[in-house]
Amino acid sequence: MMNRRALLRQASWLAGATLTAPTLVGLLQSCAREDPLDWEPQYFTPDEARFVTAYVDTLLPRTDTPGGLDVNVHVFIDRVMGVNSPAGDTPSPMQAGILEFDDGARTKYGKAFYELDESQRGELFIAAENLAPRYQPQVWGTAVGEQPPVGFYRSLKSMAQWAYLSSETIGTEVLNYDPVPGAYNGCIPLDSVGGRSWSL
Amino acid sequence: MANFNIDADKSVTYDAIVVGSGISGGWAAKELTEKGLRTLVLERGRIVEHVKDYPTMNLDPWDMDLRGGLTPEERDKHYKSIRSGFIGKDTEHFHANDRENPYTEVKPFLWIRAHQLGGRSILWGKQTYRLSDLDFEANARDGHGVDWPIRYRDIAPWYTYVEKFAGISGAPLGLPQLPDSHFLPPMEMNCVEKHVKARLEKEFAGRHLIIGRCAHLTVPHNGRGKCQYRNRCSRGCPYGAYFSSNAATLPAAHATGKLTIRPFSIAQSVRYDDTKGTATGVRVIDSETGETVDYKAKVIFLNASALGSTQIMLNSTSKRFENGLGNDSGELGHNLMDHTYRIGAVGTVDGFEDKYYSGRRPNGIYIPRYWNVDEQSRSDKFVRGFGFQGGGGRTGNNNLEGHGADYKEKLLQPGPWEFFITGFAECLPYHSNKVTLNDAVRDKWDQPTLAIDAEWGANEHALNDQIQEDAVEMLERVGLRDIVGFNNRHEMGYGIHEMGTARMGRDPKTSVLNAFNQVHAARNVFVTDGACMTSSSCVNPSLTYMALTARAADHAVSELNKRNI
Repeated sequence: MMNRRALLRQASWLAGATLTAPTLVGLLQSCAREDPLDWEPQYFTPDEARFVTAYVDTLLPRTDTPGGLDVNVHVFIDRVMGVNSPAGDTPSPMQAGILEFDDGARTKYGKAFYELDESQRGELFIAAENLAPRYQPQVWGTAVGEQPPVGFYRSLKSMAQWAYLSSETIGTEVLNYDPVPGAYNGCIPLDSVGGRSWSL
Repeated sequence: MANFNIDADKSVTYDAIVVGSGISGGWAAKELTEKGLRTLVLERGRIVEHVKDYPTMNLDPWDMDLRGGLTPEERDKHYKSIRSGFIGKDTEHFHANDRENPYTEVKPFLWIRAHQLGGRSILWGKQTYRLSDLDFEANARDGHGVDWPIRYRDIAPWYTYVEKFAGISGAPLGLPQLPDSHFLPPMEMNCVEKHVKARLEKEFAGRHLIIGRCAHLTVPHNGRGKCQYRNRCSRGCPYGAYFSSNAATLPAAHATGKLTIRPFSIAQSVRYDDTKGTATGVRVIDSETGETVDYKAKVIFLNASALGSTQIMLNSTSKRFENGLGNDSGELGHNLMDHTYRIGAVGTVDGFEDKYYSGRRPNGIYIPRYWNVDEQSRSDKFVRGFGFQGGGGRTGNNNLEGHGADYKEKLLQPGPWEFFITGFAECLPYHSNKVTLNDAVRDKWDQPTLAIDAEWGANEHALNDQIQEDAVEMLERVGLRDIVGFNNRHEMGYGIHEMGTARMGRDPKTSVLNAFNQVHAARNVFVTDGACMTSSSCVNPSLTYMALTARAADHAVSELNKRNI
């Protein structure tokens, strides 16, 4: 198991950088260096996309494992929202949530969320997390009991988590990937799989 | 796979017709063909050939558009059945189109349908338990419904017969209320499940926690491969490791050379000859062309699902049967049952943080019924009882707090161990729970549809209250923390165990079928799907459909040979 895992890791996630959608930096933006909008959203407005990009980067920064932006979490969220939102003038709950969160950033720091530094973003995250209702446990894919709405912050966090963990790079190179286990072993040391989860 | 009889002119006469190809239809086809009958299987949907037609069987989340999420168009196509929570991009193609196949919810009712070769045998939960005499005697003992015309001894050898072919994994326990099957080796419990088992059985005398008994092969069996622990069953299994019509019974039927499958064939009605006093065949609407064709046979098996077969019978009117085939009793369409669903408790288990598991086991644990099994366990609040399914695993990262580097690293690690149990309660047969033909709402083929008018009664609510109370108490005494008791108050249908709408019984005045699943007043018509059930037990019913079907097919051929039908 360890050997196979090591083998998978040789395919470094950095090679996955080519996955990034073709960028339009410079065409759209004059200040590309500071502006996180180096991708072309299909659903979000440029300001919303800047927010989502900053949100994903704050939640899932690049470390010795890929960050959310490295595996295009932001692009995937844009795609999911685009597919699932009927065209129209009314802002979706997601768009309304972004607007409100950004308003909070401006009230507290005088800047949009994406313009804040890491610690300022972190303070807003902690404040939002403390207010956000939690998910009920699930049984066979459905929440048990009454699930109160979890609000914008946790909804987006949940979507980002899903997008991150279900990406090919994380699923095959960072997590333990075994599409055909062949057997079930009900008790193994967590150490034996490097302390990480199975991806499937 | 099989001979497809798409050119309808060639042959309209067979020895036997089987309507439907799910769990029970597949068995009917296998048994009748193996006994030498030229058999026509009518399937209202398309052909799904084993392995070849499982397009999502090997897809990882990132291989699917939206990582397996549905588009608004797909959700609309399944706007009713999506309530189940079980439909994703990986299985969407095995669920019927709710827009083309409307039904009316007089009271809320979830009707999950699968219109293709194999039917719901592709999608089923695969939990397999025998009924016992506690079940077969239940109606007679407490006066609800009518008495089953059979007892455990009548069906026991047929359970063994179908289990030997299907392959049921599990461990014997010797409980009278849950007779042991003919088992392949059991699947393994994980460390937390073993821990909970030990504590629970010590704390609660008379309660047992066992590995689920299921129609998954733990060793190669009858030419099918063993489970590879991928837990992608409902997409179709390339190894044929779980029992489905496509992997098991239909290939066996095909091997006889006696099988013809006609896809895209909606059984509109059973034809009945008033002068001869016998059913003569089945009228089919070709779902592609709209053409109507009458097929003839000496024996007809209805296996279109409980409500599907009932709909066909209600639609089969003649001078003799003005209110539907075999409906002298007025019970056809009545006594609809299901099992209650998603009531239980979930909690967190400490002390196993350094432990994990490998493989994705398509099975959980089971706690057999312990209420009303003897004098000591009698309840004064309800009759009958319930069993629990459940399991333990490390899944709980949904509410992971924080953000940034530490949060991300934690997200990549297994969450805390959680353990849950969820009850399945027996449902009584109430005459008032019924389906009727609805002329006002027509399907895509201009056929009348079903109106479903059913709801849980006082006994089911009392059982559900007990389920939740017991579930919380068990998890507390086992030592879990952060226990959440739940009752999702799902309407009927969520159990996906529709039963009882053409029940078996001893008396033609109060039942539709006899002890061999023959329509009392049309003896060459057999109904062996969920419609036949006289009571619902609290265990998953499919194994019983298999056994009753094999038994009925044996009887049918015997009666044919004696020229009694």
